[in-house]
Amino acid sequence: MSIETVQLTRVYGSTRAVDGVDLSLSDELRVLALIGPSGGGKSTFLRLIGGLEPPTSGSVRIDGEELPVSEEGLLAFRKKNGFLFQSFNLFPHMDARENIVLPLVEVHSWERAEATRRAEEVAERFGLVEHLGKLPHQLSGGQQQRIALARAMAHEPELLLLDEPTSALDPEMKAEVLDLIGDLCQEGQRIVLSTHEMGFAREASDHIGFLSDGRLIESGPASSLFDAPETEQVRGFLNKVMKW
Amino acid sequence: MKLFLSVFVSVVLGTTFAFIFWVVVSHEYQWEAIAPYWKNFVSGWGMTLAISAGALVLSIVAGVVLTMGQLSPHRIPRWLSRAFVELIRGTPLLTQILIGYYLIADSIGWDSRFGVGLVILSCFSGAYLTEIFRGGVESIPRSQWISARAIGFTEAQTYRFVIIPQAIRRVLPASAGQFANLIKDSSLLFVISVHEFTMQAREANANTYATFEAYLPLVLGYFLLTFPISLWSRHLEKRFAYEH
Ligand SMILES: Nc1ncnc2c1ncn2[C@@H]1O[C@H](COP(=O)(O)OP(=O)(O)OP(=O)(O)O)[C@@H](O)[C@H]1O
Ligand SMILES: [Mg+2]
Repeated sequence: MSIETVQLTRVYGSTRAVDGVDLSLSDELRVLALIGPSGGGKSTFLRLIGGLEPPTSGSVRIDGEELPVSEEGLLAFRKKNGFLFQSFNLFPHMDARENIVLPLVEVHSWERAEATRRAEEVAERFGLVEHLGKLPHQLSGGQQQRIALARAMAHEPELLLLDEPTSALDPEMKAEVLDLIGDLCQEGQRIVLSTHEMGFAREASDHIGFLSDGRLIESGPASSLFDAPETEQVRGFLNKVMKW
Repeated sequence: MKLFLSVFVSVVLGTTFAFIFWVVVSHEYQWEAIAPYWKNFVSGWGMTLAISAGALVLSIVAGVVLTMGQLSPHRIPRWLSRAFVELIRGTPLLTQILIGYYLIADSIGWDSRFGVGLVILSCFSGAYLTEIFRGGVESIPRSQWISARAIGFTEAQTYRFVIIPQAIRRVLPASAGQFANLIKDSSLLFVISVHEFTMQAREANANTYATFEAYLPLVLGYFLLTFPISLWSRHLEKRFAYEH
């Protein structure tokens, strides 16, 4: 996939959450990871390229196509993607199965029977079959996040956007979810994610972007960014987070 | 401590109930005095039932419309519905009934006491329901909206599948309280001579001077209307429950 942003900016009040980001990534790109300090603008950047909110200024092109501005255009664009948030965000009043089935039926116009079969197939793969009938509050954090991941990828999205998919989980659950995401990467699923898991970012992604104070401080192939960071700021950040 | 509280509450409420019951029952009544009016009581109760049932349905309609106005992205419907709700909530029902019947209905040549009473009661109760409904919708966390948006739901789909089912659960107890109020408030329609339950008691009293005998049937009569609502609300709360 190619991703290109030109002077992408998003301002909230007096905060420049994303501030003039220029990024140009070529076709071979499969997995892009965003890292950086808390409040650096990772989530905002993801929301912008996912079409969840409009930029204040600047533009985004994905696979050569400019992100639409009209609400209908954005709606169609969002349907093609899958989104996963840090805090699960399942619908609490539906069981796990319905959380996966409903978007397939209502957004993607699948037959219900077909959608149910698909939900079961994905659940099988994610080791969730016996949990499909449970409400979200009856599931552990890791199970909820795996259901949310199943919901985000059941319609085979062109692009999967993951915002800190594991930072609300304890280490064991983290591993469960990272394994699944790693498999998806292996299979060629196109993913943009933000993460604080440096080991995972390095393993799974082709390209890393480092965001701080809304600016893209550094961006490059995973190996070079981790082994030979160009800026003092990235070096300092990596030293700090890799210390333990 | 918990046990002490339970015992304390039981004793206080138990003796209060027993005392009231004893006082009421041990009074010497002259039921013969109002016995000839029993048909009036029955028809009054029927009138209260009819007008309350009608106003209950219409007030939900009014509440939904006004809530949509208040949540509208446009300023004018928001402002108008806000003004309507504030005006209705901030003025006495009695004056609303008088103005509604003698000025407004009269000016358009509508002379159905029952019809006018029904509409005014519905507006009055609808204004209170609006505040309850709006609070319910606004209490749904922002993350649910974002998540629905990310899935590709339109705004209408978001309300239908995500917001309203969760909001219903939250507004049920307060709405049931408002419905009980509505039933009791219908007694004010005596000012435009709607022959409802309280009006019949009033007339029986005026003709016989048997005050207690005339008004005591109201206790039973109104309770027979409000208690089923209470039970029904509990039942619905369980049906819509999704936590715990
Ligand atoms: N909806 C919003 N309204 C106001 N300010 C916001 C909003 N969203 C983000 N911000 C601000 O924008 C900045 C960037 O936030 P963002 O959530 O994108 O950072 P992040 O890199 O994802 O941080 P974290 O690692 O903690 O998730 C922060 O200063 C944040 O307070
Ligand atoms: Mg974030």
